[in-house]
Amino acid sequence: MRTLAALLAVLLLSPAVAGTQNPVFSAKVEMVRVDALVTEHENGPAIVGLGPSDFEVYDNGVLQQVDLVSFDQVPLNVILTLDMSDSVAGERLDHLRGAGAALLAALKDQDQAALVTFSQLVALGAGLTKDVAPVRRAIDEAAGSGDTALIDGTYAAITLGESDAGRALVIVFSDGVDTSSWLPQEAVLDAARRSDAVVYAVSTRSRLKPEFLRQVTSLTGGRLFEVERTATLGAILISVLEEFRRRYLISFTPRGVEKNGWHRLEVRLKGRRANVKARPGYLAGGS
Amino acid sequence: MRALALLLCVFLIAAAAPRVCAQRPPFDPYVADARIDRLERWLKAVARHEPGTSDDEAVEVGSWAQPDLQLLWLDIDVLVTMMRHPGQLRFSIKLPSQRAPVDVHFTTAQLRRLRAMACAAVGIVADRRCLDDKYAVDRDAELLRLSALATASRAAGDGDNFILRRGALLHADVAMRVAHDVVEPASTPPPFGPQRFKMQIADGRQTDFGQVAVHWEIARMALDAVKPPGTDQPAPGRDAMVRLWYRATAAWMQQVEDHDTVHLDHAREIFPADGDILFLSGAQHETYAGAQIQSAVQTAVLPSGVSFAVESERGELRQAEGFLRRAVEVDPNHAEARLRLGRVLGLLGRHADAARELRQALASVDAEVLRYYGELFLGAEEEALAHYDAAFDAYQRAAVLYPTAQSPWLALSSLGHRRGDRAAAQQALQQLFDLPSDPLERDEPWWTYHVAQARNADDLLEALRRPFLAEPER
Repeated sequence: MRTLAALLAVLLLSPAVAGTQNPVFSAKVEMVRVDALVTEHENGPAIVGLGPSDFEVYDNGVLQQVDLVSFDQVPLNVILTLDMSDSVAGERLDHLRGAGAALLAALKDQDQAALVTFSQLVALGAGLTKDVAPVRRAIDEAAGSGDTALIDGTYAAITLGESDAGRALVIVFSDGVDTSSWLPQEAVLDAARRSDAVVYAVSTRSRLKPEFLRQVTSLTGGRLFEVERTATLGAILISVLEEFRRRYLISFTPRGVEKNGWHRLEVRLKGRRANVKARPGYLAGGS
Repeated sequence: MRALALLLCVFLIAAAAPRVCAQRPPFDPYVADARIDRLERWLKAVARHEPGTSDDEAVEVGSWAQPDLQLLWLDIDVLVTMMRHPGQLRFSIKLPSQRAPVDVHFTTAQLRRLRAMACAAVGIVADRRCLDDKYAVDRDAELLRLSALATASRAAGDGDNFILRRGALLHADVAMRVAHDVVEPASTPPPFGPQRFKMQIADGRQTDFGQVAVHWEIARMALDAVKPPGTDQPAPGRDAMVRLWYRATAAWMQQVEDHDTVHLDHAREIFPADGDILFLSGAQHETYAGAQIQSAVQTAVLPSGVSFAVESERGELRQAEGFLRRAVEVDPNHAEARLRLGRVLGLLGRHADAARELRQALASVDAEVLRYYGELFLGAEEEALAHYDAAFDAYQRAAVLYPTAQSPWLALSSLGHRRGDRAAAQQALQQLFDLPSDPLERDEPWWTYHVAQARNADDLLEALRRPFLAEPER
């Protein structure tokens, strides 16, 4: 646990509350975290027991010194992000509530959970907390009405995930297309590129492809599930949680690369063939 | 549930029709007496209808079946011809989709009934051309009353427009108040005339598709025949009531999200330089570029041969730009058109032009809601131009205007991210989370931007109807 405490201390340096209307902007990158799922092959079993020396991380093609690798040690911050628009009502809402409750029940004591809901209104149902009771209550009380601000809601969840040093897992459920967000899709993808949060999404299958969810999950190293029926939602959320727990949290301090701008990341295993699923890069500094 | 609709009108005859129905009955040029009966009922309903109400007349006309309305559309055209030429014995009609006119045959008895109705509708039953059929009017109290009303209208200087204006008001009321939500299956074969399709949309998805009654088509046809005072030919483009009718009804359609391209296309044919009609046209295409319409059109399941004339997002934005630009050329003081032009230019990626139009619009708008939109849109353009301080200030001004709105806080938070300032991003997000979670306690004009251009629809309709309302009984 000593190593964990040291990591948290470093990470907590950056988020601080600005109290002025004209904040000073900095472009420092203290440390970069990458959540990586390592499997024998695509959709294969996870490879466990790896350490820092097993990984090769390239930042814009420059090999980096991996400082730390942790596995199933850092508590999770699970941010459930649920579509509560018109189209989610009746049986679908019941499935959603049941799936949310199942996910909360599967969390460990040190994990935290939060609920962000969106119709056209984006709201924090429950802030990050180890006590899942208020989150469960908020899920039970949520009701569907209004248009769909999927992009705004996802943005709020990603940003909430950055507010705490834990590993942020954002799980988005939506059964509709975005119809009322203020934020443009590109702004949210830009925020995702800057964020450590990993976004998983579940979308009901329709004739219109969930392009935004596909992009945001891909950019953050997460995964998009398209389902026919919401009855399977609970099982999917549990599988997301299990998959996330099998991921390594790799951290490094970038060296030999420009601080600002887009950093292309490549994570490999040394001397071993494996499938590594991680975010493809990160954006540092202001644009 | 917020539901909107896309409307499409096509004119059907013979091979020119889309392949909605496999078997369509051939057009019968011989008119059945029942059609003349219906035309007479229509005429009397028009005369009795109190504009702005769902009275018995509106309910009766609203109950007529789609094929009957399509024939009525044709018979009103004949009636109007006879109103202008009571001695005419042969009639033909020409539809937009056909090359040659089609003859319509009436029996002598039918022609006499038609002439009696036409003379009553114009208030010229004493005219020598009407004298042969005058007895038919004299025996019918309602036709007599209609004739008296039409005569009074003529005496007031409105020529033979009485039934045309009233007819348009009746059908608009039926469309708005009685038959608005009635959608029939699209499989009914239309015998002739216009056919109107409606796709209902909720949450960006098609929820229903079918045909709806052609009340708007009948109303537009009636107004096309209006002869303003001092003219001897139909000239609706010179008529103030027709202008107000189009402004009011197009605004109403946008207020309730019944998006009808044909309605505004026709309005612009008549009033090509009307700033308000151009403004509503621009707002309509701006709406068509939005996710609700785009996603619904992309995934719609429509009968073979039917398509809604909605272009790609960019194509619609370009159309919106064209109309809004003309609106501000025609009326440089139309600040709301300029504001929407600024937003559209921004969506097209022309951020410097957009910011310039938005600043100019903001210099002259008074309404708080327009100031809010202007500041929010200006913030987005300043942000796109990397003028981050100016963007920050604009978003802040928007937040002050509507303290419970969420968009300015989302914008400020995203701006923080963009500047690499996570603390600012977190702080603004927290402001959003601190807002009331009950939608009823949130005042967020962004949620109603898609209908904000039509917020004066009720006032316009009231102004339209006022001259036609009965004097209150004393």
